[in-house]
Amino acid sequence: MATRAGVQTTALVVDTFREASARKIIWGFFACSTVLILFFLLIVKIDVVQGALATMTIFGKTQRTQDLAQVVRGAHAAIAGLLYGFGMLLAILASAGLIPTIFEPGRIELLLSKPIERWHILLGRYLGNLLVIALNIFYPVLSLWIIFGVKTGVWTAGFLWGSVLTLFMFAVYLSVILLVGVVWESAVVATMVTFGMIILSIILFNKTTIERLLSSEWSRNIVRGLYYLLPKVVDVGQILGRIVQEKPIESWMPVWSTALFGMACLGSGLWLFQRRNF
Amino acid sequence: MNADYAIETLGLTKSFSRGWRGKPFLAVDGISLRVERGTTFGLLGPNGAGKTTFVKMLLSCAHPTAGLAKIFGENSQLRRARQRIGYLPENHRFPTYMTGFGMLDFYGALSGMEGAARKRRIPELLDQVGLKEWGNTRLGKYSKGMLQRVGLAQALLHSPELLVLDEPSDGVDPVGRRQIRDILEALEQKGVTIFLNSHLLVEVEQFCRDVAIIHGGKVALEGKVAELTAGSGYKVEAENVPERLETELRVGSKALAHVNGTGSWLYDNRQDANRALDALRREGCPIEKFGRVNSSLEEIFIRTVSGN
Repeated sequence: MATRAGVQTTALVVDTFREASARKIIWGFFACSTVLILFFLLIVKIDVVQGALATMTIFGKTQRTQDLAQVVRGAHAAIAGLLYGFGMLLAILASAGLIPTIFEPGRIELLLSKPIERWHILLGRYLGNLLVIALNIFYPVLSLWIIFGVKTGVWTAGFLWGSVLTLFMFAVYLSVILLVGVVWESAVVATMVTFGMIILSIILFNKTTIERLLSSEWSRNIVRGLYYLLPKVVDVGQILGRIVQEKPIESWMPVWSTALFGMACLGSGLWLFQRRNF
Repeated sequence: MNADYAIETLGLTKSFSRGWRGKPFLAVDGISLRVERGTTFGLLGPNGAGKTTFVKMLLSCAHPTAGLAKIFGENSQLRRARQRIGYLPENHRFPTYMTGFGMLDFYGALSGMEGAARKRRIPELLDQVGLKEWGNTRLGKYSKGMLQRVGLAQALLHSPELLVLDEPSDGVDPVGRRQIRDILEALEQKGVTIFLNSHLLVEVEQFCRDVAIIHGGKVALEGKVAELTAGSGYKVEAENVPERLETELRVGSKALAHVNGTGSWLYDNRQDANRALDALRREGCPIEKFGRVNSSLEEIFIRTVSGN
């Protein structure tokens, strides 16, 4: 017998899937992934001779390559990079409306009148949104991992771990969307703030150059502070690249500090939602 | 506070600040109200009187600034208190991507109903509200009246003991309105407490046993509908009445109201009214008005909110 909390969480997750499905952008995401999968399934032809890559043919052009594992890792890294960059932007656009819509007058009152805690409603929606995007990430990643594995015999776990890191980065930005959604109840503002944060994060990645251009110590401290405070999208992207290519990681600081920022946003969003009047 | 009342509020207050560092605005000003179990209760008031804020505090959509609201003896801010409430908001916005069945299934699950119970109950309710054939149609295709009826089904899904309805027949055609009234009457027979927030005075007069009129965030009048509208009566109005005397004036009075420091009492017969006048004169309270009245709920409402 399912627990009450389980029934409620499942309902919130399923409802998020329904709403995401009603939005065409998720289907666009799915279509892009399918095209990518079909491309590697049908167009790329790889002939393997005794564990080494003999030839790789794309659009009828044949190339000779020696290191099979290196080619596979390279392809994995390119796909992971595409998902981390372009996929992340699509995921944010697709998700930005999913949380703020529940605050619409006439909808929120009904949700709050049900015997369910406020934090549970918001976390259920967050989880549903995360699972929608997880499905859209793991669908191409698992499919391509299997296609490459079957065609080449190279099965590297790095590609799969890399997609987990992509989902992690999305979870952090979804926390920002949640917090902005609770405060402003607007999908547009949530999108703008999240994209603004990504741009700022890219700028702050070059903190050493920026610091050299600044004359005062306090302004350099602000840049440093912002760098350590905000999510580090470029640094985490570089870590992802190293994971996919199975290279050693020098520092996990960008990951854990980004995780802390995400948790702070999520916690603040839940706390504010608990206190708000509707 | 005790569990004999479906709703009990004590000094329930809500203030909002207007704008950035604006002056606080009292939307609900210390309302103490009791709604007995199994009754049909109508909440009336002009626009901006504080009715919606009051209802939102009962449902924990808004947090009281002061005071307390209890549902069957439990603090309304607690999750378990809401387990016994079915609610239909006024300007509800059901997600249009859902079908009627899907929407009921979703809100039923949030109410803690198991899948098997939802599967059994939803077709019953769709049939009851006359939407049996519409269960698999998206809500975006529903008319306003149909949305109202499926909304009522949503409120009834988990068999609540208290039904809070905000303008339930808004946008519903006369046939649908009759259907809703029949459903509500059947629920009343079963002992469900119905709390109706409506602008339709005729609807409240026909359906509700008890009524309260909110004006300026305060309860301006409360009483039994039958007594308030019982043909003729004698109305006494006076200013600056001390609390001790108010208790005395309540004896024999079938309705009382307070608007801007002026109290009014309605008596069935001349003797009771004269006794009240004598008491007021004895205490030196200025008598504003005395006379015979014939009341409909609409007249009472207008008199109460206009202070005449």
